[in-house]
Amino acid sequence: MNVIATLLGGWLFMVISGSALAAPTMDVTDGWVREAPPTSRVLAGYMQISNLTDADLTVTGITSPDFDSAELHRTVVEEGVARMLPVPELTIPAAGSVLLEPGGLHLMLFDPVRPLLQGDSVTLVVHRSDDICVTLSVPVLRSTGDESVHHHH
Amino acid sequence: MQNGTQHAFRKRFLVGGIIAVFAMLAGTWSALQLRERASHVDELAATRFPVARDISAFELVDHRGEPFTNTSLQGVWSFLFFGYTHCPDVCPTTLSVLNSVAQRLGSDASNVRFIFISIDPERDTPEQLARFVSYFNGDFVGVTGKPEAIERLTKQLGVLYMRVASADNPGSYLMDHTAGVFLVDPDAKYHAVFTPPLEAEKIVTNFDKIREDYQ
Repeated sequence: MNVIATLLGGWLFMVISGSALAAPTMDVTDGWVREAPPTSRVLAGYMQISNLTDADLTVTGITSPDFDSAELHRTVVEEGVARMLPVPELTIPAAGSVLLEPGGLHLMLFDPVRPLLQGDSVTLVVHRSDDICVTLSVPVLRSTGDESVHHHH
Repeated sequence: MQNGTQHAFRKRFLVGGIIAVFAMLAGTWSALQLRERASHVDELAATRFPVARDISAFELVDHRGEPFTNTSLQGVWSFLFFGYTHCPDVCPTTLSVLNSVAQRLGSDASNVRFIFISIDPERDTPEQLARFVSYFNGDFVGVTGKPEAIERLTKQLGVLYMRVASADNPGSYLMDHTAGVFLVDPDAKYHAVFTPPLEAEKIVTNFDKIREDYQ
């Protein structure tokens, strides 16, 4: 019962904060922010963004009130060398999804406004080119090192 | 005469056809063989050298301020990863994977060392490294040193790195760097390299095989 209430609450939250449309057009799942080592002021956020419509959607950025700034980046490995490339916008294909995962596409979150440790949660706002925003709350988790494995199989 | 020619032509055509079919079958068979072999290599996830390579002398310092030289690599297997403590994605991801490798090895991990070597010595002091590596695993070793001394080691392993100015945060910078994990054997020789995407399970499977062959 509690689970259903939570799910319903989360869904309502997304729909209300997302848009006034009857059906949700975008789903953001498996969101989490990796707890950073004590030396770092930069955290990384990961999630899956699904497009529930029949047309491509464009994400122009993801922001967070819990950080000074945030940027989308992609880690690319070319000839064994890892580089980070800024991603100005993200196209979520019609009826498809885009995965932000460790070692790939990710959200860089600079300078947290308060210390963030495992168990805390962070608010993220996904901005779209059609001016619709999707707000969600994601947990801060300590990485186990096995996260990306599930997606490669 | 004309019939004879036609017959010969048909015969030749038929023989040619049979050869072509055989060639196609042979081609398909070898393609399948190649594909099988290629996926086998992919399963290995590690590039192993036919003969392990010597690592010549270098002098660095670990996160406790103790000297770290090529003789420090003797006696145990060492996993080496090159990165920097301000690294937002690749280095924390890799060190988390290596921590998962350590957990999977269990008590075996006491014969294995995990070493994080800074390619950003300007910011990565031994104190900074101590806080960074111990976050991932209390047994991990952090190593830094003078830029020339680091280069002496990185050149031997083919590790590349370069500073990249951040467009949005003036004064700060990121580093592009080789993302492989290097395996050094108990003779302090460069034995194999794991290339991304890195998965703890695959690394452990490959490492077990490599150790088996080494003994």
